[in-house]
Amino acid sequence: MSRQTPVTPDAMPLREALRGLRFMLRRGGETLVETLSVDSLPKPAADLAGAVLREVGELARSVDGMASEMAKTVLGGHENQSLPLQDMIHQQDAAGQFAAAFYVALSSVVRRLGAPSVFISEAAAKSVFTRTATHDPGVSTTRQAANMTISLIEAKVVRGTTAEQAARVPGSALEPVAIFAVMLWLQAARSEAENEAALDAATDLAVALALDIAGACTQRNAEQIEALYTRLVPHV
Amino acid sequence: MSDIRLHPESLPATNEPLRIAVRRMRWFKSAFLRYVQASSTELGCTFEVDETKLAAAFVRWLESIERQKPTDKTQRRAFFEFAAALMLRELTSDMPLKVSGTPAKAKADSAAAFWPEGYCCTMFCLSVHAAAMAQEFKTDTEIDHAADDLRQWWSFKENAVTDASFSAGFLQLLLGREPNWVFPDVFRARLSKELE
Repeated sequence: MSRQTPVTPDAMPLREALRGLRFMLRRGGETLVETLSVDSLPKPAADLAGAVLREVGELARSVDGMASEMAKTVLGGHENQSLPLQDMIHQQDAAGQFAAAFYVALSSVVRRLGAPSVFISEAAAKSVFTRTATHDPGVSTTRQAANMTISLIEAKVVRGTTAEQAARVPGSALEPVAIFAVMLWLQAARSEAENEAALDAATDLAVALALDIAGACTQRNAEQIEALYTRLVPHV
Repeated sequence: MSDIRLHPESLPATNEPLRIAVRRMRWFKSAFLRYVQASSTELGCTFEVDETKLAAAFVRWLESIERQKPTDKTQRRAFFEFAAALMLRELTSDMPLKVSGTPAKAKADSAAAFWPEGYCCTMFCLSVHAAAMAQEFKTDTEIDHAADDLRQWWSFKENAVTDASFSAGFLQLLLGREPNWVFPDVFRARLSKELE
C-alpha cells in the first residue's frame, strides 16, 4: 500500500483571521474606554455605564484570550524562525517561512518602539515575498530587501496605526522604521543565541536613522533604502 | 601615570576580533550597559541610560570613523587611538547617561564625583581602547596623570558642553598625547598631510 504524505492545510489564513478578531477586540475596548467618560455621568447612569463596560471588557478579554491561545498554540507561527534573508530567497517555497519570521519579529519591534497594539498581516508579508523575491543572481540581497521594504509598506502589512503612535519614533515613521528594522535584522549575520540582541540592535539602528528611513520610504526610493541596508547590515 | 583603574574585563566576550565587534550595535550596546552597571556598583549611584541617544551616538561614531579612516596602513595604530577619542566625542555631544543620586562610594574631590556621567563614558572609551590595543598590538594602555587632576575634568566638562570636539582632545590627553586643540577631532596625521 502506498503511503502518501497527508496534505496539511495552510493554517495561516485562519491565524490571520483570529489575529484580526483579537486586534478588533483590543482596539475596540480601548476606544470604548477612551470614548465613554463614565466619571462625568450622573450617579445612576455612571453605575449602569460602568457595569456595561465591565461586562464588555470581560467578554473582550475572554475572546481575546481564546483567539490568542488558538493563534499561538493550536495554529503555531510563533517560533522565532531566523534564517538569513539571502538563504530564504534562494530556497523553494520559503514565502511562508519568511512571513512567519517577519510576523514574529515585527510584533517584537513594534513593542520595542513603544507603540500600542497594531495589526500585522502575515498574509500580506507572504504575498509580498512571493511576488518580490527573485533567484536572479544579478539582484543583490540588499536590493531585494529594499524592494520588499517598499512592497511591504504598499501592501499595508502594518495596519491600525494612528498618528500619535510609538514613544521612540514620530507617528508617521513607525511603519517604515519597524519594517526596515526587521528587514535589516533578517540580513544580519547572527547566531541563534544572538537573535534577540540582533533584533534589538537593528531596531536601535533604525530608530537612530528614522528620518532618513522614513524619507526614503515615503519617496519609494529603492536606491536610498538599499544604500542604508548596505551601510548598516555589517553593524547590527 | 594615573592610578585610575580601567575595567576591560567587564566588557562582554566575543568570538570576533574586538575591532569588528565594537562596530556592531549589539556588542557596543551590551558593552556600554555592562560597563555602566559596573560603574554604578563601583561609584555607589544609579545611571539611567537613554538607549535612543546611545544608538544615535553609535551611528554618528561609525560615520565619523568611516569618514576619517586613513588608507595608509602605517597609520592604523594611531587611528585606533583616535577612534576612541571620536567615540567619546559622540557620547558627550548628546549624553546618553543621567545619574540619579550622588556617587556615595566616590571620593568627594574625584572626577567620578564631579561629573559621574562624563567619567563613566570616558572610562568606557578607554577600557574598550585598552582591550582592543591589547588584542591587536599586545600593548598595555597607561593613563596619563592628567586623569587625576580635577582641573582637567572641570575644563573637559565646561568645554564639552559648548564644543563636543573638545572631548576628543581630552581623551588623547589621558592617553598621554598632546592633542591638536584647534582640530582635536580631526585625525592628526591626515590633517598634517593636508596642511603640507
